[in-house]
Amino acid sequence: MSALASYYLPGSVALWCAVAFALAALWGYADLARGDESARPFARRAYQLFALALVLAAYVLLLALARRDFRLDYVYQYSGLDLPIRFQMAAFWAGQKGSFMIWLLWGALIGVPLLRCCGKQEAPVMGIYLLAQLGVLFILVRESPFLMLDHAPADGQGLNPLLQDNWMVIHPPIMFIGYALAAVPFAFAMAALLVRDTREWAARAFPWALAGFLVLGCAILMGGYWAYKTLGWGGYWGWDPVENASLIPWILGTALVHGLYLERTRGRFRRMNLILAALVFLSVLYGTFLTRSGVLADFSVHSFVDLGISGWLIALMAVFLALAAWLLGTRLRSVETAPNVDPPLSRGTFLVLSTTSILVAGLVVTLGTSSPLLTRFRDQPAQVGPEFYNRVNFPLALLVTFLLSLVPYLTWKGETPPRELLRKIAPGLVAGLVALGVAFTLGVHSPLHLLFVGLATTALVTNLQKFVAKTRAGGLAAGGGYLAHVGVSILFLGILASSAYDESAKVTLVQGKPVQTGDLTLTFQRFLPRAGELKERAEVDVVRPDGSLWKAYPKIFVNDRTRQLMVNPAIRSSFFADLYVSPMEYDPGEPADRVGRLELAKGESAAIGELEVRFVGFNLEKEGNALAKMASGEQVTIAAMVDVRRGETTQRVEPVFRFSRAGSTEFPPIELAGGGRLALGGINASAGTAQLLFEGLGANAGRPARLSLDVTHKPLVQMVWMGIYVALAGGLLALVGRVRQLRTLAAIGK
Amino acid sequence: MSRRNWTLVGVALLVGFVGFAFATFRTTLTPYVSFDDARAAARTVQVAGALEKQSTRYDETAEALHFALVEAESGRTLPVRYHGLRPANFEDAISIVAIGSWDASANEFAAQKLLVKCPSKYQGAEVKTYG
Repeated sequence: MSALASYYLPGSVALWCAVAFALAALWGYADLARGDESARPFARRAYQLFALALVLAAYVLLLALARRDFRLDYVYQYSGLDLPIRFQMAAFWAGQKGSFMIWLLWGALIGVPLLRCCGKQEAPVMGIYLLAQLGVLFILVRESPFLMLDHAPADGQGLNPLLQDNWMVIHPPIMFIGYALAAVPFAFAMAALLVRDTREWAARAFPWALAGFLVLGCAILMGGYWAYKTLGWGGYWGWDPVENASLIPWILGTALVHGLYLERTRGRFRRMNLILAALVFLSVLYGTFLTRSGVLADFSVHSFVDLGISGWLIALMAVFLALAAWLLGTRLRSVETAPNVDPPLSRGTFLVLSTTSILVAGLVVTLGTSSPLLTRFRDQPAQVGPEFYNRVNFPLALLVTFLLSLVPYLTWKGETPPRELLRKIAPGLVAGLVALGVAFTLGVHSPLHLLFVGLATTALVTNLQKFVAKTRAGGLAAGGGYLAHVGVSILFLGILASSAYDESAKVTLVQGKPVQTGDLTLTFQRFLPRAGELKERAEVDVVRPDGSLWKAYPKIFVNDRTRQLMVNPAIRSSFFADLYVSPMEYDPGEPADRVGRLELAKGESAAIGELEVRFVGFNLEKEGNALAKMASGEQVTIAAMVDVRRGETTQRVEPVFRFSRAGSTEFPPIELAGGGRLALGGINASAGTAQLLFEGLGANAGRPARLSLDVTHKPLVQMVWMGIYVALAGGLLALVGRVRQLRTLAAIGK
Repeated sequence: MSRRNWTLVGVALLVGFVGFAFATFRTTLTPYVSFDDARAAARTVQVAGALEKQSTRYDETAEALHFALVEAESGRTLPVRYHGLRPANFEDAISIVAIGSWDASANEFAAQKLLVKCPSKYQGAEVKTYG
């Protein structure tokens, strides 16, 4: 570690200004909370300056990266001269300090419009929101990205090659917008408890919660796509702790969004929503702690090392957990909630059940992700495998799909008679039965899986019907929720097919030798060298059962700078299935023509490899008399008589050396019995020695190149992506609808 | 059914689910064990150790990599078999985690998965998963 001298002044000043303005804004809002209305402009202005200071700090860091100012430790550690400018900029969020910075930057910017959307509770909402910002800001000041080295290195250490991908440019910043948005419902909920007025917060927080849920969903989709398309992790989801750290807030956010919907329409779930809003934010902090503190370093493919901020992160978590626990513990009981009067077969009951299931799923993932922490107390830390998540979440998904399939045609009070309900969902039921039959003939025989396929298809159709009906009646935004549920149904079908019915085989291919795996025949043809931008890749012929040939080019190369092994899968996509060929390891083998050389005088012997070689003498009569030919200027041929003994057998060979006066020489190799070749490479006339060249002997006969691959047949992966796109589109429509509702509400209020 | 009964059904389902979740948690947990325990365990476990120098051997016909791990505290060794090619930089590994189970017939630990931790200038160390 090089000595660190000081802090980069422009950036550091900006950060400290941010601290000062945040404290000033907090002070202003405290005055406002006490009823001093004149403090409002001051507090707002201070908040805006806080955001501006962070924008400046981020700008300084970005500028330092763009100028490749390696005096800054952060720039030195995560970037380099050879990086294209987009990756040089993306190095901003490559390290922990930079990711805290971008998280905080988004948080500060979100607060600017937020402070005008808080209604009467601006002071407590912004106060709590500022506390959340300050917590991260303190970590950032302590672990500043503006730390300077005491010298200016000529080049940086470069960006981890795994991160040199276009997804890296957009995926992390979007993820952090989602994280930053999680603080908004938290601030609304806690402020509502603080002032003991919980009537309005749900309406105000709803669009923010929905936006955060959508943005985070988008980011998770991108992460999955990245992992699938380029990283070659074998799938779009691996239940890795870092993946889970973003999934948990998202699942809890799903529960919150539905809970808020229930509260807005039925006045129920008032207490639960306050808890959920707290959980979403706390899960963001917890996920940050899990992935940034190094506690899971042995368990994640995204290994993060301990930066020494574990203590800070624990403190941050503890402060907000204590705040939430205190407010919820002391004031939740006084929150009035509508009594449960809905009959079982009503929208209200179904929504309660599905929201609860989603919450439980969030807790299940939290439990699994925390397994290395939980087991640490008893034993050596251990982690649960992906089967845990798959098995435990399956019944929940089954229940949710059942609820989804009926919910479009249930009314709030459940006055629809079951017979009429059945008539309404009949098309869906028929579709479900057809899908079930198709799945059965395709080889799905597990009763639970069949049920799942049937229910998910029913849910798809009923929600689609309702979406169309709603859109016709009230415009696109009216049916957003139903469209989202169509997407979820598609997504569920895709997840089941691609995860439970994928067929994976690990094969090691010897160059040129066809290997049968499943119904595919694979032949590793050759390894192609780097060509310009195109990295080293293997050419693998994949012959499918119908005889069609697909030339797969999975990439496998060693990064020049770091010697890290990098792989990119080759994927053949069709609507029904993806064929996924991911390289695992490449062994270039050893070429067979490894050369050995002996120089022997007449009668001399030597050993090479497993051979015992004796040079008997020259033969000048092999192709006419050599001396006569030399005199006449013709091409001369001299042979060497060599006894080659391998084990018990001895073979006499006579390799030849031909040369002409013009200077051309040739020395054709002779195949040796038992393998290898021998040539007479030259003659030293004055010493009377012969130079014997050997190729491909014994242990040096060479190894063929080998390539080991993970070959996976993944059915319906395309439905996973499609489902998420549709769900996100639906969510976006719902958001538009909610914002409009809020505007209408505001207009009525005025 | 009355509301009370519905509530009871709900509670029973929830309790059943919690039980199921914890049972699955226990069975899918792959505990870290000592080499001695790994030899005795019937289930999938994970062991961690350093690669014993010059213990690596690749069996061409079986396409299996054989090597031995050395346990840090006890200094005991454990023979390991892994089906697949030798991971890159295998000899440079700081530590290797093998996940699998003891194969008594071959007197070897049959690893389904390897986590190879190599020194890296990024983030301290780099962990790669094989299998």
